[in-house]
Amino acid sequence: MNRNVIWKIVLILAVLVVFTVAIIPTKSNPEPLKRGLDLKGGIHLVMKVNVNEASRLEVDQAMNSLKQQATAQSIPSPVTRRISDSAFLATLPAGVSSAPYERIAGDFLPSFSVTRVGNDLRFTMKSLALKELQRDTVDQAKEAIDRRVNALGVTEPIIVPEGEDRIVIQLPGVDDPARVKDIIKTTAQLQFRLVEGGRGPTAEALYNSLPANLRDEVDILPIDREDEMGRVTGVEYIAVRKNVPVSGRDLKNARVQKGRVGEPVIGFSLTPEGAPKFAALTGANVNRQLAIVLDNKVVSAPVINNRIDNDGVIEGSFTQQQAADLSLILRSGSLPASLTTLEERTVGPSLGRDSIRQGFMASAIGFALLVLAIIAYYKGAGVNAILALLLNLVILLGMMAYFKATLTLPGIAGIILTLGMAVDSNVLVFERIREEMREGKTVRASIEQGFSRAFATVIDTHLTTIISALFLFQFGTGPIKGFAVTLLIGLAASVFTAFFVSRMIFDIVYKPTDRPKELSI
Amino acid sequence: MRIFDNPNYDFIKYRWHAVIFSLILIGVGAAVFITRGVNLGVDFAGGANIVLKFKEPVPLGELRAKLPVATIQQYDNADKNSVLIRLPQQKTEGDYAGAIVEQLHTDLNPGAAQKHDLNYHGSDKLANLLIQADPEKRGSNPAAIAHYKTIAKGIIDKRSELGIFTSMNQVTSAPGVNTTIAGVLNQQTSLGRFNVLNQETVGPQVGGQLQKKALWAIILSSLAMGAYIWIRFDIGFGVSAIVCIIHDVLIAMTFLLLLNLELSLNVVAALLTIVGYSINDTVVLYDRVRENKRKIKKPMSLADHLNLAMNQTLSRTILTAGTVFLVLVAMLAFGGEVIRSFAWILTIGVISGTYSTLLIVPAVAVAWDNFASKRRPSSSSARVEAPREEPTRKRRAS
Repeated sequence: MNRNVIWKIVLILAVLVVFTVAIIPTKSNPEPLKRGLDLKGGIHLVMKVNVNEASRLEVDQAMNSLKQQATAQSIPSPVTRRISDSAFLATLPAGVSSAPYERIAGDFLPSFSVTRVGNDLRFTMKSLALKELQRDTVDQAKEAIDRRVNALGVTEPIIVPEGEDRIVIQLPGVDDPARVKDIIKTTAQLQFRLVEGGRGPTAEALYNSLPANLRDEVDILPIDREDEMGRVTGVEYIAVRKNVPVSGRDLKNARVQKGRVGEPVIGFSLTPEGAPKFAALTGANVNRQLAIVLDNKVVSAPVINNRIDNDGVIEGSFTQQQAADLSLILRSGSLPASLTTLEERTVGPSLGRDSIRQGFMASAIGFALLVLAIIAYYKGAGVNAILALLLNLVILLGMMAYFKATLTLPGIAGIILTLGMAVDSNVLVFERIREEMREGKTVRASIEQGFSRAFATVIDTHLTTIISALFLFQFGTGPIKGFAVTLLIGLAASVFTAFFVSRMIFDIVYKPTDRPKELSI
Repeated sequence: MRIFDNPNYDFIKYRWHAVIFSLILIGVGAAVFITRGVNLGVDFAGGANIVLKFKEPVPLGELRAKLPVATIQQYDNADKNSVLIRLPQQKTEGDYAGAIVEQLHTDLNPGAAQKHDLNYHGSDKLANLLIQADPEKRGSNPAAIAHYKTIAKGIIDKRSELGIFTSMNQVTSAPGVNTTIAGVLNQQTSLGRFNVLNQETVGPQVGGQLQKKALWAIILSSLAMGAYIWIRFDIGFGVSAIVCIIHDVLIAMTFLLLLNLELSLNVVAALLTIVGYSINDTVVLYDRVRENKRKIKKPMSLADHLNLAMNQTLSRTILTAGTVFLVLVAMLAFGGEVIRSFAWILTIGVISGTYSTLLIVPAVAVAWDNFASKRRPSSSSARVEAPREEPTRKRRAS
């Protein structure tokens, strides 16, 4: 055998080995070809981070510090009012120059720009600062979700920011979507705030019962109403101070413990920065009620018995599961803003299993039919085409494994299109060879001419499809992208197998030196 | 084996018949579209899709009474006891499907709310239940927790395999379940009436975007292919290729409407596949025409050239379409519910793609050629015009 042919065989075998190795499952990599959520089961979530909450908070803080600075500099405190998610209006007392307030803004509120509107000053967040805040908020949210998902023990999660304010979350193999969604979505902003006055059946009644000077200092929040046995019987309201001396950020750890009568409670310990703050708060307010506020709901409002330095306990009417989930969330930190679900797709594991079983069966039967048809039509050359096709499939799947591309339903469509085109490349060549034979050429000349004449056509068909696949990849979303990826890989493999592999098999079977008279085609 | 021996069909002769036939079909599609509208899937219309599998035959009446706004239909074969619940779009964003499923779970399993539902909840919750009950008295050390987690996983895996538990015996036959664990399960858990196979929510914001993006992807990739063919061949072929793409997509959409299949992102991927195949056929044809034009010295009309090339490549066209068709028939017959609409669209696309290559593309190419040669009085004068470009090129060069 000629040296050239041997090298070609070595190359093809090398390709075969490299890509076969890529798709054979091993102990360290039990699933080399990743299946998409539509085939495997799991959750796909698109969440919107409500970044406007973060900017609103920033505006509230700015209003506070403007007032504080005014008081510190002994000038009259302005009346402030938030007018949007990123702007507020400060109304100055009559006859007061705006200059000192603008100076305060320049010194202490660098992220705001100030404009004069009649007698008022309008503070608007600079667009650059706003952008940065939004980005930070999304990043923080992503990190918090990361930690929570890791704590849940989900393998191979995908959590990526998308666009300005979205986070895409993919959790393969999760079989309890409702719980996982709850854990991800809980904002978990924990606050410790002092209680003022008693409780009321409605928010309005409680507000009216408060002394006038306290009304602006407190928030009215809901709390579970319990009977003597500790059973929840409804909702009532409680007034807590607006000031938040200690928050979830001061927590170092949280875990489930057993309470006095064996009920689940959450024990927490504080960070080195949080501990002195908590000690000061509890030390100065012994015998007063301290509200534990989680996401704007009071979980419990125990009476402070003595100064607490390091560790504390959150009681509430939790079930074991709730306590476990809440301590997981508190450990992994709060979200900087709440999340809204924009899109959710959950494929249960049973459906995924069914699709795979049926998909596999359909592919196997389809492939068998195709093999029979090609061999019946082209006989010996048909076997050649099938070998090329199999190699094409191995290369395609192997490449996908190397690129860590996931196999989805539309991806399977891409594979069918590719295999169809790979068959087509062979058919084009074979029909051409037959034509040349009909014109009376020798076997060798027909093979030669068949391949060279069909080459231009095959390149044209493949290039046209590659161009469209590139556009689909660029502009398509999820499933369409997956389709484009398999298509691109498969087309490259198809040119290789049709012109290199099929050609070589012909060269081996019909050696140029043998002057063959008959061609099985 | 041969399909055709020296075929010599006059495809061009029947081009108007084909054009009229296609227009009628597309007209029917348009009529259905106007009267009934397209069945937009959850991807594009927004809203929610829920697929549930029941222990017993699906209580369709009960579900319809609970969810009057929903479209409720059988999913897969009747013996699978599965149902597809389709809910229309809501104005606000949120976890729509999740909330409905939760509601159905409480409504359809009255009294069972106190007990852990093995058909509804996942392995994590079950593991927690076992850890707390601790039937084997292993304590709460990590090894014990891992042990109970494995058992819970095994039970839920078993459920995935069966689709749904219909009796407690199925649960207790899962690996690792001994009599003490079975005791706890029998006491603290129950088997609800359904298992959730699939739930999807697409909010109003995302739905609109998906629609726009998919449309742009199709339009841009079609234009890019047209442009490539224009550069490689000529503008007449480029135009007819784009017309051919539009034709195939419209025919496929007509069948989508007639079969009342849902338009989803997967169906869009199928449409794109059709576009790919159809253009493939067309390129093969054009290539042959170009080659023949070089080889055959005697003057021939474009119509004759197209006829010749189509007959020369006919075996290949039929064979390629035929093999793909075989694969698709297998998918249609054995592929199951998830890929059914997808396989339908592909099957129709392969048929219509072959048909359009043989009859529609030549019709447009010939029509374009006639139109173009009327603007330039005759094709011979076009050749006379050619030298006139010489001076301009020279001028640019100097």
